[in-house]
Formats: sequence, structure tokens, C-alpha cells
Amino acid sequence: MEKKENYVIMDEVTIPYELAYGRTWTQFFDGFREEKILGSKCPKCGRVLVPMRSFCPRCFEEISQAVEVSQEGIIISWALTEYEYFGMPTKPPFIGALIKLDGSDTNFLHLIGGIDLSNPEQVRKTVKNGMRVKAVWNPEKKGHIMDIKYFEPVK
Amino acid sequence: MSKEFSTFKKVIRLPHKYGAGPTFTRFYEGLKQGKIYGTKCPECGDVLVPSRSMCPKCHVNLSEWVEVSQEGVIVSWAQTDKDFFGKPGQGTYTVALIRLDATGCDFLHLLGGNLSKVKTGSRVKAVWNEEKKGHMLDIKYFEPK
Repeated sequence: MEKKENYVIMDEVTIPYELAYGRTWTQFFDGFREEKILGSKCPKCGRVLVPMRSFCPRCFEEISQAVEVSQEGIIISWALTEYEYFGMPTKPPFIGALIKLDGSDTNFLHLIGGIDLSNPEQVRKTVKNGMRVKAVWNPEKKGHIMDIKYFEPVK
Repeated sequence: MSKEFSTFKKVIRLPHKYGAGPTFTRFYEGLKQGKIYGTKCPECGDVLVPSRSMCPKCHVNLSEWVEVSQEGVIVSWAQTDKDFFGKPGQGTYTVALIRLDATGCDFLHLLGGNLSKVKTGSRVKAVWNEEKKGHMLDIKYFEPK
């Protein structure tokens, strides 16, 4: 007997939302508009946290002091993403990396760019943990994490 | 008033598909031919439209298919003239529960045509779209007789 296919109905749900950055992240992203990367300095342990935090997660101290940190740092860890899946904010290939900026004590998650990403074997030879990188800014600032285009290797 | 803090705006998209299953598939295929089908319960005798695979009253499987009338009476209706998020259509429209003749449940669809004298209990008749896709809106709306 011929197998009859049942109907499949295509539909789409959209969920628009607006996230409030709050006091701390507003200050952090306002810094981006002036090409500044700000960190929060804990009054107790003295650590500088990037991105900014309203309190120190180690000391549970409230933080009010903001300090500007360097636009350069070292790669702590990285991963090349080639596989594209639905809902990605960034089109592959890209490198997501944890970057420890000079003058800060935390790892900042961002992209590594400015290099050829087409060949993974070549990327493995180019990108290394401990490598120095530097922020590259988008000319247009929106007070958004992507105001920093990516971090590129320091020549 | 301007906002005290910055915000981040985004839209989440969730495209999806769902299987209509054999019962609804047969119902939609009926619509494609300009016919409205129901399933008849062998216990209570109710004809359910749109067709169901089981009778929610008697909890028995339904396998008897009957074509039902394209006319019925309005049981309840509501006109929507405001836009709101997630509204399943545009502009002003009128939805109604319609009891098709000789059926045992109310059928949810749109009302159209001249609605100036429409009221609960009014007789209405299905108006079909020229092009049929095997979709609930192959019936354009029900209009007052």
C-alpha cells in the first residue's frame, strides 16, 4: 500500500525582548563609546574585574570604583568555530577566546580576528595561548559588546 | 522620559514545524476539496468538527467520517480591533464559535461579509477561497445569510 504522508505545518514564534544593562553595565558600555575598557576594582581583594561587576564574587564586597584597563592582553584559551547552527549571533568561522587584559584579573570573552581563519591547521600555527592581542574597535559605537570588533595579534 | 540605564534589544526567532497527524490531515484534505469533515462518536453520536481522533466525552476512538453542513449558527463572537503582540492576523477581524448544523461541538473561525446585523444565533454560511491549500483558512470566513 502506498504510504500517505501526513501534513506538516510550518510556523514561527518570535520573542522580542529588551534587557536592561543596569547601573554597572551601562557604565561599562558607555566606556566603549569612548574606546575605553573599564573594570571594577574590589576594595577588599584589589582585583580588577572585566567586564564590570557590581560586587566582587569572591569577597561579596560592593564595588563602586571603576578603573580603565589596557586594550592589550594575553590569550588564556581559544576555540575556532566553523560549524554554523541556527541562532548564532556571529557567522563562522570565528575564534572565541578568553583574554586577560593587562591591569585586570579576570578573563574577558571576545573574538580573535584580523587573521585568516579559512584553514584550521594554519590557525593552530598562528594562534597560541599566551599570545598578545590588542582590541580593534568598530568606527561606529553603539554601547554594545561588539563595539570592539575583535582582538588582533600584536605584531 | 529617557531611560536611566542602557538596554539591549533583540528578537528571538523560533521557527518550527509540527505534524498535523492523520486525523487533521484528512480534515485539511477535505478543506482542499471545499468540504468540511467531522468524526462521529459511536457512543454519544456527536459529530466533532474539526475532526478528532477520540471523543473527549466518551473516551472512545472515532473512525466514522461524515461531511457536515457548511451552514450553522453563531454561538459566540468577538471583534478584535486593537493590535497586540502575537495577534494571529492583521487589522480588525471577528472570530466566532459556530455550531454547524447537525454537529455536536462549536467550530472556531472568522466572520466576514456584512456584519452590521450579526448577533448570537445568526445563521452563517462558509465562504471559500478560490485557491485551496489544505489549510484552515481555505474557508475565508463565515458570512451571515
